Amino acid sequence: MATRTETTQASPVRVVGFLCDWAVRSEGLLNPDDTLVGMPHVTVIRVPCSGFVKPGWLELALRSGAAGTFVCGCPMGDCLNREGNWIMEDRIDQLRKRLARQKVDPDRIAFFAYGLHDQQAFLDAVQAFVDRLRALGGGKA
Amino acid sequence: MYRRLLTGLQSATLRLDVGIQRVLPQDFNPLYYTGGLANLFLTVLVVSGILIFLYYEPSLEGAYASVEFLTRDVPYGVVFRGIHRYAADAYMVAILLHLFRNWFTDRYREARDSQWLSGMVLLVFSGLAGFTGYLLVWDERSQILTSLTVQALRSVPLVGNWLAEVFVGGPGVSDTTLPRFLFLHVGPAMALYVLLWWHYVRLRHPKIWPPAVWVLFGLGLLFILASVLPATSGRPAQPGASPEGFAVDWFYLWPYVLARWMAPGWALALVVALLAYGMVIPYTLRETPEERGLRALGQAVVVDENCTGCELCYYDCPYNAIYMVPSPAPGKSRAAANRKLLAVVVDSRCVECGICIGACPFEALELPRMLDRDVQQRIQRGAQAPAAAAT
Repeated sequence: MATRTETTQASPVRVVGFLCDWAVRSEGLLNPDDTLVGMPHVTVIRVPCSGFVKPGWLELALRSGAAGTFVCGCPMGDCLNREGNWIMEDRIDQLRKRLARQKVDPDRIAFFAYGLHDQQAFLDAVQAFVDRLRALGGGKA
Repeated sequence: MYRRLLTGLQSATLRLDVGIQRVLPQDFNPLYYTGGLANLFLTVLVVSGILIFLYYEPSLEGAYASVEFLTRDVPYGVVFRGIHRYAADAYMVAILLHLFRNWFTDRYREARDSQWLSGMVLLVFSGLAGFTGYLLVWDERSQILTSLTVQALRSVPLVGNWLAEVFVGGPGVSDTTLPRFLFLHVGPAMALYVLLWWHYVRLRHPKIWPPAVWVLFGLGLLFILASVLPATSGRPAQPGASPEGFAVDWFYLWPYVLARWMAPGWALALVVALLAYGMVIPYTLRETPEERGLRALGQAVVVDENCTGCELCYYDCPYNAIYMVPSPAPGKSRAAANRKLLAVVVDSRCVECGICIGACPFEALELPRMLDRDVQQRIQRGAQAPAAAAT
């Protein structure tokens, strides 16, 4: 935990993430202002299903100054609504191609799939994503 | 108490996935394909069943001999008899895993009750087809099972004797009995496919087949089991004899084990009560969304002015809850002005997942309590807010 706080203090990158209600348990994971515990530069918006997320929202996040944005759904194959995470993964693949044509690095968008008990794995993945974004440089803004 | 138990079971089910995914890649978890695996084994059952049917003779004198002929003299007969036997068990394991997993992970509530009910009826018919399969061999076990079933049916009030006569095709075991059993084996098995239509009718892209690696593994397992532990008959049935014990197949014959401690009628009543309880499970827990810890966001609503009739939401809705109807009037936005179709949400099927909202590029669908506008504001706040710890 201590090392994570140190890295975040050095980090200027801002990230907006979407977290499915049915994926990682969000209790104890979020601050009251919807940022991730230990990563105050990562804002998480909880959604009823990862398939709820419009690709346009991810683009909006990048346009508004976020360095990166991610969607976290349930493990592939285990979506409560059967297909939400497969559909979202497809949409993100297409969005990546679109971003590449617009000369935006597609790595600024990520899709994660973690279940109820995978809190730590989820936090690690977000941390790795943030580190990668830091290597890419800050947001487009 | 009951609710806490279910929450615990849900947590345990999902924790099991974490363990499985340490070993297997996420999308190869066999527990995600229990329905597809059941379909695989059902297909194996149908194919091997047809092969066995070619040799089977449904008569009191000929049944046992025809099965023995298949096992001993037909090339590979013992293998496909064994495959039929073990595929039946694998099928029951798969559908029970399917049942409990979908129960414990809440995948049966509200708009999904039609899948649950059709699943319970499928379970009844699968059990019937499975148990009558043990009667067809007409060995000592078949004889005991027949007499226990007749006893159980006779003890049903009012219609008991009639049921028993329908079951054995007359007042007692006679030449009509085995053709009757053969029908009771094949008939319910065919009905399974009609019921599967009901099971799938509200699902878009149902997962009806497991990944290739599980198909190969399942088939390989059946072949190995059928070769290492060949299926055999007991001693032939003797009219008038009263054999004592029998080898139990726990997946299909467990109610007959109960007959050791209770009258067969009560064992039947217990099975019926269990199935009846299964049917009402979706209607037992009437909690409000708040009690279930959900944010009730409301069912999806079509914004008439913006809908262009492009059908994207219709293709993505996992529950076929969106219908495209001929548009009664043009929409207001430029893209919607020339539409031919209009999306309509069927309330009774909508589970409030919002997948259609993600599908719609025209802002023509909304969840009433999580509007596009609000999400956009939160995105902008999150993207622009100076990081608290960095200040």
